[in-house]
Amino acid sequence: MNIKLTRSITIVLLCVSALASGCAKKQIAATPAPTPPAPTPAPTKFEPPPPAPMPTIEAPQVTKIGSGDLQPAFFDLDSYTLREDARASLDKDAKLLRDHPNVTITVEGHCDERGTTEYNQALGEKRAQAARDYLVGAGIAAARVEIISYGKEKPFAQGHDESAWQQNRRAHLVVRTGT
Amino acid sequence: MTRRRQLIWMGGAGRLTWMCGAGRLTWMGGAGRLIWMGGAVVPAFARGAALACALALAAAPALAQPPSDVRIDITSGKGHRIRIHCESLAASGDRNAGTWSAQADEVLAHDLDWSAVFTVSKSWAGGQAPADVQAVAGGKFSVNGDQVRLSGEVRDFPARRPILIKEYRAPLRDWRAMVHAFADDIVLQFTGESGVAQTRIAFIAQTGRVKELYTMDYDGARVAPMTADRSIALSPSWSPEGSLLLYTSYRSGTGPHIFVTPSGGGKTFQISGRPGLNTSACYSPDGREIACTLSMDGNSEVYVLDARGEHPQRLTTNRAIDTSPAWSPTGHEIAFTSDRTGTPQVYVMDREGGSVRRLTYEVGYTDSPAWSPKGDQIAFVSRTGAGFDIYACRPDGSGSRLVVSGGSNENPRWSPDGRHLVFASNRDGPFALYVTDLDDTPPRRLETGGLEALSPAWSPRLAGPGEAMRVTDGNSNPGGRP
Repeated sequence: MNIKLTRSITIVLLCVSALASGCAKKQIAATPAPTPPAPTPAPTKFEPPPPAPMPTIEAPQVTKIGSGDLQPAFFDLDSYTLREDARASLDKDAKLLRDHPNVTITVEGHCDERGTTEYNQALGEKRAQAARDYLVGAGIAAARVEIISYGKEKPFAQGHDESAWQQNRRAHLVVRTGT
Repeated sequence: MTRRRQLIWMGGAGRLTWMCGAGRLTWMGGAGRLIWMGGAVVPAFARGAALACALALAAAPALAQPPSDVRIDITSGKGHRIRIHCESLAASGDRNAGTWSAQADEVLAHDLDWSAVFTVSKSWAGGQAPADVQAVAGGKFSVNGDQVRLSGEVRDFPARRPILIKEYRAPLRDWRAMVHAFADDIVLQFTGESGVAQTRIAFIAQTGRVKELYTMDYDGARVAPMTADRSIALSPSWSPEGSLLLYTSYRSGTGPHIFVTPSGGGKTFQISGRPGLNTSACYSPDGREIACTLSMDGNSEVYVLDARGEHPQRLTTNRAIDTSPAWSPTGHEIAFTSDRTGTPQVYVMDREGGSVRRLTYEVGYTDSPAWSPKGDQIAFVSRTGAGFDIYACRPDGSGSRLVVSGGSNENPRWSPDGRHLVFASNRDGPFALYVTDLDDTPPRRLETGGLEALSPAWSPRLAGPGEAMRVTDGNSNPGGRP
């Protein structure tokens, strides 16, 4: 009984100390990387008003991107070959991702309803892979791009005609983390 | 001693005995002989039975080694059906017994009709039995508190000599299963193989964007949810003895994974959550292995896992899509879908992934293979403009025939007796489940509790309460008590 009690107390103490040290480590780790000293603009009254400060580098960090900013790549029936318009869309996506290096994404593969559930799951994955490979080829780190196939299970358009089917044959890009 | 008349079937000995007060008439199936033991005067019915058996033996030499006592031969459910007349069960016991027995009448008539063995007429719908009826089914239905008893009888017509007399007892809540058990026994008596009235069907029900796994009786009754994940469940498949259900689900949030859940309800386990696709899972006929589609090597391929989901063996090595494996009933071969020649086609390979051959050249764009339980047919779908038709062919690819068309007809799956296919179709509007008997009768729609239903899977024959509730198997006292 006593032994059990002391043992459990020891375990609790160990846990607490572990937690404490964990917190301490985090704090230590956090402190060496403070915000860099703010550049002192030191404007003088005699100089002309400064131009907009370095928008090309600063702006991407300021403007946030969401999934709505990424363009889908559309496919032909039964195909996972990237069409011309799909490449153009992915080029824009790649640029946006290069500009936002902390953003990671998921590429969802989707299909129209004209195929079996299981085949479309495989086809959707092929489409997601094709889009991912293109982004990686455009310089996006592979680790930033995950893929998932939904097959025909999450259609964007509910109709049963070619316009709905075309909407649903896509690699759809979604922001996973970062902005 | 009370006067008894009953049929006794001794399966092991291959012997069928008809007992009555005057004596005993025994048909020795193995020897092909009919023996009368009893009074010196052979009753007229015994002489008739002797003649019938002699004729049957002469007409069907296969009866010399039957698995059971085949009284009237039929041609596997297609074309010719046996005409049977259902008479209302006589209700007794509690005051509400008539209400129950009227429902039992309907269930029994449905079962016999849906067996694809019988053409059914009903005494409560049309009065007298038609002249060409071969048998009459009926009996007594008594309800006492929460217990119900069915004394089932099938007699030939017009002589009304007993063909099958059986008594069943069950808790009242299991009355449907009890009637199904009687129906299956009638099919067994006439065909040598039990019916499928005591089976269930698993399916996917869609509500908005959510897809959950459900099961129900083969006739659409007793719909029960199996999952409540608010995710996307897909592609259910039964274990060979019916206790487990494999299915695909997005519930983990990281892609489609394979899960297994007890078909009677219980805890769900993940079978495979490898990177990429984990889909299209189905048990081997011996239940020791699971064929499925994985893409952990970067491309969707057919694999075989052990029953725990470990030790993957890759069967296909092709840069194209390979998916939708379906075992042959021997477990020696697997049918699957591949688009290695551009569009999806069904192929067959051996258990090790060798000897790959395209199933059929008679139909283009084929997918969703399902091997019949007797091994003689493979059902599959073929794409039309906006959907699929269902076909079946022999495993060597010959004899392709259109089974179902009109609307889109998907995911055909065999009943355990191979007489029916269940499939999903939007032929009448939203997707619902239908059953075809593979003949010229139109598919019948299953009620699925008002749910939009997809991806059906027919259970094997289940060892349900029907086995336990058989009070007599012919040779004991039908009353159950002395």
